[in-house]
Amino acid sequence: MSLMTTTPVQPDAQPADDSLSIIQRIQQGLETTPEIHPALAQESSILEIERFCLWYTKAQAIFSLSMGIPRGKVTALIGPSGCGKSTLLRSVNRLNDLIDGVRIEGRMLLNGESIYDPAVDVIDLRKRMGMVFQRPNPFPMTIFENVIYPLRIDGERRRSVLVEACERALRGAALWDEAKDRLNESALGLSGGQQQRVCIARAIVAEPDVLLLDEPCSALDPIATLRIEELIHEISERYTVLIVTHNMQQASRVSDYTAFMYLGRLVECGPTVDIFQNPRLQETEDYVTGRFG
Amino acid sequence: MVWLLGAALVLNIVMIGALLGLIAVEGMRAFWPHPIEQVTLRTGERFLGVPVREEAFEVSAQRKRELLARVEAGEIAPETTASDGRPMRRLYRIGNRDLGQQPFRWVEIENLESAERPDEAVFVERIAWGVFLGVPEAVVLQTLAPAPLDAEGSPMLGAPAEGTVDEDGATIRLTRELRRIEVEAGVFEPFVVTRRYLAEGAAETMRLLRELIPEAAQRREHLRGLRRSKIGPINAAMTHLRERVTEAEIKLQRAEAGGARSTPAVVWFGALAAAGALVVGVGRASRRARKSGRRPTPLAQMLSHAGVVLAVGLVLFVWLERPVGGSMTPERYDHIVADAAARQAELEVEYDAVAAEIEEVREIDSQFRVIIRDPAADRFAPERQSTPDEPMRISQIVRTVQPNTLSAGDRLGLYLARWWEFIADDPREANTEGGVFPVIFGTVLLTILLTIVVVPLGVLAALYLREYARQGVVTSFIRIAVNNLAGVPSIVYGVFGLGFFCYTVGAYVDAGPSGATQLPVFQWWFLVGAGLAIVIAAGSVGILSTRKPGQVDSRGYKALRITSTCAWIAAFGIVAAMFVTTPYFHGFFEARLPDPTFGKRGLLWAALTLALLTLPVVIVSTEEAIAAVQPSLREASYGSGASKWQTIKRVVLPGAMPGILTGMILAMARGAGEVAPLMLVGALKWAPELPISLDAPFLHLDRSFMHLGFHIYDLGFQSPDSEAARPLVWASTLLLIAVILLLNLTAIMLRARVRRKMGSGHF
Ligand SMILES: Nc1ncnc2c1ncn2[C@@H]1O[C@H](COP(=O)(O)OP(=O)(O)O)[C@@H](O)[C@H]1O
Ligand SMILES: [Mg+2]
Repeated sequence: MSLMTTTPVQPDAQPADDSLSIIQRIQQGLETTPEIHPALAQESSILEIERFCLWYTKAQAIFSLSMGIPRGKVTALIGPSGCGKSTLLRSVNRLNDLIDGVRIEGRMLLNGESIYDPAVDVIDLRKRMGMVFQRPNPFPMTIFENVIYPLRIDGERRRSVLVEACERALRGAALWDEAKDRLNESALGLSGGQQQRVCIARAIVAEPDVLLLDEPCSALDPIATLRIEELIHEISERYTVLIVTHNMQQASRVSDYTAFMYLGRLVECGPTVDIFQNPRLQETEDYVTGRFG
Repeated sequence: MVWLLGAALVLNIVMIGALLGLIAVEGMRAFWPHPIEQVTLRTGERFLGVPVREEAFEVSAQRKRELLARVEAGEIAPETTASDGRPMRRLYRIGNRDLGQQPFRWVEIENLESAERPDEAVFVERIAWGVFLGVPEAVVLQTLAPAPLDAEGSPMLGAPAEGTVDEDGATIRLTRELRRIEVEAGVFEPFVVTRRYLAEGAAETMRLLRELIPEAAQRREHLRGLRRSKIGPINAAMTHLRERVTEAEIKLQRAEAGGARSTPAVVWFGALAAAGALVVGVGRASRRARKSGRRPTPLAQMLSHAGVVLAVGLVLFVWLERPVGGSMTPERYDHIVADAAARQAELEVEYDAVAAEIEEVREIDSQFRVIIRDPAADRFAPERQSTPDEPMRISQIVRTVQPNTLSAGDRLGLYLARWWEFIADDPREANTEGGVFPVIFGTVLLTILLTIVVVPLGVLAALYLREYARQGVVTSFIRIAVNNLAGVPSIVYGVFGLGFFCYTVGAYVDAGPSGATQLPVFQWWFLVGAGLAIVIAAGSVGILSTRKPGQVDSRGYKALRITSTCAWIAAFGIVAAMFVTTPYFHGFFEARLPDPTFGKRGLLWAALTLALLTLPVVIVSTEEAIAAVQPSLREASYGSGASKWQTIKRVVLPGAMPGILTGMILAMARGAGEVAPLMLVGALKWAPELPISLDAPFLHLDRSFMHLGFHIYDLGFQSPDSEAARPLVWASTLLLIAVILLLNLTAIMLRARVRRKMGSGHF
């Protein structure tokens, strides 16, 4: 049991009983301190999460979670299902506002600006973040209209701008060669993997600061998954990516940093190589090797 | 179990099928030509009649036994009675109502001596007085000349009463007769009436009629056209002139009574400037706020809300108290009156010219006559019931048929021609003859109008309920109320429509608020001020009660929100009160009073009433359709940074479109078939004018209209001659079902298109 807290984010709670593992402590609802690798502290964060708690009506889904998302890097969120990964992701672009009875505490800062400040225009905030969901959800429109949707709602009318942006986004989503002759066909006629790439194109067409991917490959076959993974790799050169994934190999392949969550809490967070090859916590190792979770 | 379910389904299908089949068969049969029989009774009486149907009728048991015995004994034919001994009777259509007889007659088969089918018997469909059955006798050219006077000054024939003339190589018999004819009201003058017999005998007469009837029909149409397209507009223009003068008079009186506007110019210009400044200021501020990517503070929001509300109030003031226009001076009044008089004189000249043309055509028309004799009464079909010795004009005939000589092809042609007439012509004879074109037109127009009203209304309501209203007790209650509205008997809607739309809203549109509810100017502006204050307060409280992001509602917020809602409701109440008490509005049709324009039954109110009636259908199906739009699509839209309205407009509404159209189809079907409320709010038995015309405003929403559903009721149960109307009832029913089917098919095709587009991605 090696509890080496390098960056103590929770000053108040110090473990009283060293004999319990962190997982057991979480299961018992005790305070825990996440294991955060020092490498993370050297990165500049585009998104700073500070003691973030979230409740669905009465049920708490996220417990005082603190971490930074490094700028220009791919950060993977892993953890067993139901641990609050999607919830955390949806909190970043305030999509949870749409659900009645959601309450939060703590802060999230995007470029130092509080996301949950009443003065923040949530529409504007969401425009600065692209989001891709678990299931491909293209609109029942043409591929072209799907991709440029964020620009359309932004009031962009100039055809030339739209066409150019569409091509850029589709190239970015590695769909241009397949789709360039079918831009005016329905996006619903594409395969699952192509649909998901349309959604990625839609997410990047407005040049967002952060790209939020919620298990983007879970509904796809292995080949499509591979293409999307390559794509995430390419995209990561230009954007900060926060990706939720169920798949350990995927996390290790695509991400620079990995955060392991369990029951709404952060357990360990650090460079992906360290998390997968040299985790500080036994539990993390158990999880990433599939012995637990 | 499966048998039971299957049986229930089969029962339903059989019932619906039987209903539709009956209507189809009876409706299709309505115009089939039947033969004419020359009936001779045992009493020796003879008449012409078209057999309509036969039935057994109930008599005493003893009589039945007696009849059966006689049948057995071979005294009477077996077809005289039904198998149980009830005597049979046959209904004959005998027409000739203008000769003073009932147009239908039951004959007991027992009393029937013989029934033959004479070739020359003719079935005459006429413009008025229904059908005439008779034998064609002669075509007559009838001319009038003033009678010459003899030495004592009394009129004489001046030539033999009978004679012949040679015309075009043929010898034509002629008769002369001295007759006093009314030339003006109450003034009779002697005339010599000369009749030339252009054709005599059944065959000759029919041959000539075939040539003359189309010519006569042309003259009839020409006359109708003159009345419709020349006299009609002239009359309308004259009415309009009178209205303009009346309007000017009212304005003049009002100006003299009330004097000039009381607002000092300084105040007015101040208000104008303030309104302008507010509009510009708020516009700028909101543009700046939109660019910054941050929401304005609550205070700023409240200020801009107040600014907008105040601007609206000031604009209202500036408009209503505008110092120019609207007031009438004696000079302007005199000018209008003189203008109207000049125009009136022009119109009268025009009128006289058209009247002269009409008179000319009528004179020619009145020369061509035909003698068709009813052999039983030994009288011919008269021009009018009151002039039994004037044979009818050829132009009074729609069609003559000698059904006993028709070939199968002729029959089919006649059948189709009658259907066409039914669909394309105006009704005649208290709707028991002629066509139903205005009726179909009214039905379709009403259905379209009601759809235009109900769909946006229902969709907006459903959108608000589903997307904007906070789901809770109140929305559930509203939902239940809406569902229950669908169960309210439709006559209740009719009563409401008549009381509220026709007599309240309609009267308001005509004449403005009644004097009793009008407030003095100052008090009214006080009311407006109170309204503005409440709107500002309601908006401000609403802004304060908006939820902080990531927070749930505390009790305080809830209280604020309820306050805000109540204030909004109060504001709506005040706005309504403003309308009811305004001293500025005197109605759009003041000059036509006391004749109501919109303050009576009419197309608009009928459409609104039916829209109200069908609203629940649209709301419910739209709500379901909205709820069925995939949440993942909404998330995609919101996640792309779309606002609520953008998401609704681009994702929710298109996705819900098929469901909305389903609601529209249901509403149309329900609305088109509804009769009860229409009897109260606008359908008439006979509406002479279509609700559209070539003169402005083209669509006359104030007019009454005819409607197939009401038409069926009227024909079947209110008609003076229900036997004659019977086939028309079936035909109208068939037509109503066809019209509804057609409207629905159109809508269904539209929905299929939308679905296809959704599937292929263009919407
Ligand atoms: N809309 C919701 N309402 C109530 N509870 C929710 C809702 N969405 C998620 N939850 C709960 O929050 C927890 C975290 O869910 P989620 O973030 O979807 O997990 P993950 O994505 O890691 O599988 C789960 O226990 C789940 O039941
Ligand atoms: Mg998830």
